[in-house]
Amino acid sequence: MQVDFSVMYDDVCHEIGVPAVLIVDASTVNLTVIDDTRPKVLPAGSGEVHDVGPGAYARIAELTANNVTRDEYLDAVLEFNGRTWVVRSYELRGSPNGEDQGWVRLLLKEPAVGR
Amino acid sequence: VIDVREEILARLLEVVATIPNIKTAVRNNVDLTREHLPAAVVFDGDEETSGSVDLSHSPDTVMRIEMTPEVVIVQQADEVGSDITTLRRELIKRVLYDATLIAIVNAGRGGNGAIRYIGCETDVGWMRSLHGALRAQFIFKYMLKPGDL
Repeated sequence: MQVDFSVMYDDVCHEIGVPAVLIVDASTVNLTVIDDTRPKVLPAGSGEVHDVGPGAYARIAELTANNVTRDEYLDAVLEFNGRTWVVRSYELRGSPNGEDQGWVRLLLKEPAVGR
Repeated sequence: VIDVREEILARLLEVVATIPNIKTAVRNNVDLTREHLPAAVVFDGDEETSGSVDLSHSPDTVMRIEMTPEVVIVQQADEVGSDITTLRRELIKRVLYDATLIAIVNAGRGGNGAIRYIGCETDVGWMRSLHGALRAQFIFKYMLKPGDL
């Protein structure tokens, strides 16, 4: 039986996704993302610094449907769950139906302030 | 009681606390959060006697000690590289030329102690913003008089 994984991804997004706004240049796109902000620890000599690594999963098909191409991911502004982030990089997660039907994990950072 | 090692470490903490823009100066704290940053952490580090220990001498014999405390500078910022470089510069200047530290190890003119900067290592990574840590190591040479402890 041929499985359409995009349907499963849509179900996942429906259950645990949150509304988000992606701002690319002057264009605003409404979409659903899954908050992937996780605890993160980085070394500081003999010690460690504890914080979070902000991230979000988005469906590439939804981005494409909103005319957001891959080269526009970087530096886009993403607002969700009451916070505003900037896409600093991304990771394509692939899919059995091809990468264009899969997730993209957007790696986020805080907007620069006063620089 | 005169404990030169403790005097050095306590003074080192005071010195790093004077680095401009440092928000937190602590000693041996291994768990920092974003709210601490920019931070300077003094780690006690190791020490060893310089040269071989002569077992034929009394345990009270004065020994030359070389201790190597570490100072870790941590910051998160878009321009973390420049920030860390600036903090490193201030750190080295303040440690090497601090009159109190020089007096503690007797590194002044004609003294037998010394303070030197050995070098540094850096770590970078991403959190909410770019994270950078710089581990600077110094060597303090002083004379340990066991009878003073």
